Amino acid sequence: MQWWCAARGSAWTWSWQAYPGVWLFVLAIGLAYWRFFGFGRRLTARHGGAHAEGTPGGRGVPPRGWPGWFLAGLLCLWLGLDWPIGALGAGYLASVHMLQFVLIALVAPPLILLGVPAGRPELRAGSRGLLRLATHPLIALVLFNLVIIFTHLPSVVDSLMASQLGSFLIDMVWLTGGVVFWWPIILDSPARPGFGNPMKIGYLILATIVNTGTFLYLTFSELPIYSTYELAPPVYGISARDDQTMAGLLMKVGTAAVLWTAIGVLFYLWYLEDSNEPSSTSHA
Amino acid sequence: MSGAVRTIARSLSMATATLVSLVACDAGSEAARATEDSTPPSSTDAAAGYRGVVLEPGPRPDFTLSDVDGKAFSFREETESQLALLFFGYTNCPDICPVHMAGIASVLRDLPWEVRDRIRVVFVSTDPERDTPERMREWLSGFDPRFTGLRGDLEAVNRIQAELSLPPAIRGAVPPDGENGGGYEVGHAAQVLVFGAGDLRLAYPFGTRQVDWKHDLPLLVSELQASHRR
Repeated sequence: MQWWCAARGSAWTWSWQAYPGVWLFVLAIGLAYWRFFGFGRRLTARHGGAHAEGTPGGRGVPPRGWPGWFLAGLLCLWLGLDWPIGALGAGYLASVHMLQFVLIALVAPPLILLGVPAGRPELRAGSRGLLRLATHPLIALVLFNLVIIFTHLPSVVDSLMASQLGSFLIDMVWLTGGVVFWWPIILDSPARPGFGNPMKIGYLILATIVNTGTFLYLTFSELPIYSTYELAPPVYGISARDDQTMAGLLMKVGTAAVLWTAIGVLFYLWYLEDSNEPSSTSHA
Repeated sequence: MSGAVRTIARSLSMATATLVSLVACDAGSEAARATEDSTPPSSTDAAAGYRGVVLEPGPRPDFTLSDVDGKAFSFREETESQLALLFFGYTNCPDICPVHMAGIASVLRDLPWEVRDRIRVVFVSTDPERDTPERMREWLSGFDPRFTGLRGDLEAVNRIQAELSLPPAIRGAVPPDGENGGGYEVGHAAQVLVFGAGDLRLAYPFGTRQVDWKHDLPLLVSELQASHRR
């Protein structure tokens, strides 16, 4: 039994496999949330009030700090790490590996951060040295794109995905990079009052542009670049090149879908601000 | 946009350009390293510039088996003027056979027709019981309809492999119900043998990548053409 998904080398089978390391990791994050913030009645509270404090999207949408956001993020994280997505992505299909990236680095972190209750000063960007540095928008954007590029280098993927520890490392780097990237968008930043919705929109638009190089390289490479997936037992006869092309497209489309959704929400919040309606200006 | 955003954009564009070139360099060096790992070259290989492993020179094997149409196929005669790629495997193989066949087929599609036309891929079944002519035709066509499938009884196939210093194919036990679809696996040699100009023989073990085939096949074909001109 493996504790974390890694390339196995054996033919793919739909027989369920247990990955206890994934369960423990997801459980640990859930317990940490419960320990620090609790679930209590916040999970089942009604959110019918217009523009409740911290509302991400407007009327009827649960506010920031609602545990449901956190649980949705945790679910996405679990889906990205566990069988079958985790196992297929670790050793069989580059396209599923990219789906993992989208789930772990782009979808789960903002949902988890949305589940953090507002008004926790110890979690505000700018309150601590390293956190303040890492979550500065410029640094966060550069860090996240370094994560994207380095975790998709053929030498990194081929050397790390062969072992459970290496695969775990890539997943953790994605998750950490995603949290750092989304932090300036989601969490309050009293130290950076100028980083309002227009700046956040610009930040996300830049993020949609800078992964284009990696996308182009994956999508239009003449030959498979990852030996892990090129030499893996085939799944449903999908060729290594088609799989790689799908991986590139998924990187672009998946990233764009998530980021443009966030941009849309921020535009709406910006519109509400300009309409002088009571609304949070610092929450996505 | 504010100055801060312009600064972000400028920094990121520079970082991206640098790092994308790093990815490209990394992919190239990785491909080369993967080849080195999988096919440790002898001094002869390096001198000749092949990614495959150069074997002891020898004539092409002389054997005759049935093709998927039931016609006799004499390997030496039929491949005389071509670069011949010979592989022993079976169509129910879950890993090595489809990876080799898919890699070769994918590279052939990229080669100019005059190069592709001089290459013959021959797949000999090590599982004649399940590899019926229809099954082989269907399976090979999935990769490239020009691939030649041959079959004969396992004893004859193993004799051919022995002449080529390959291990014999061994049929595994039928697993308990439910495992592997109730089918058995067949242990077989994992390398593709290539017969080029004159007595040139090379082996391409499992782990050979498309980048290696793309490097060697045109080179081997051009040597073959040169030898025919002499």
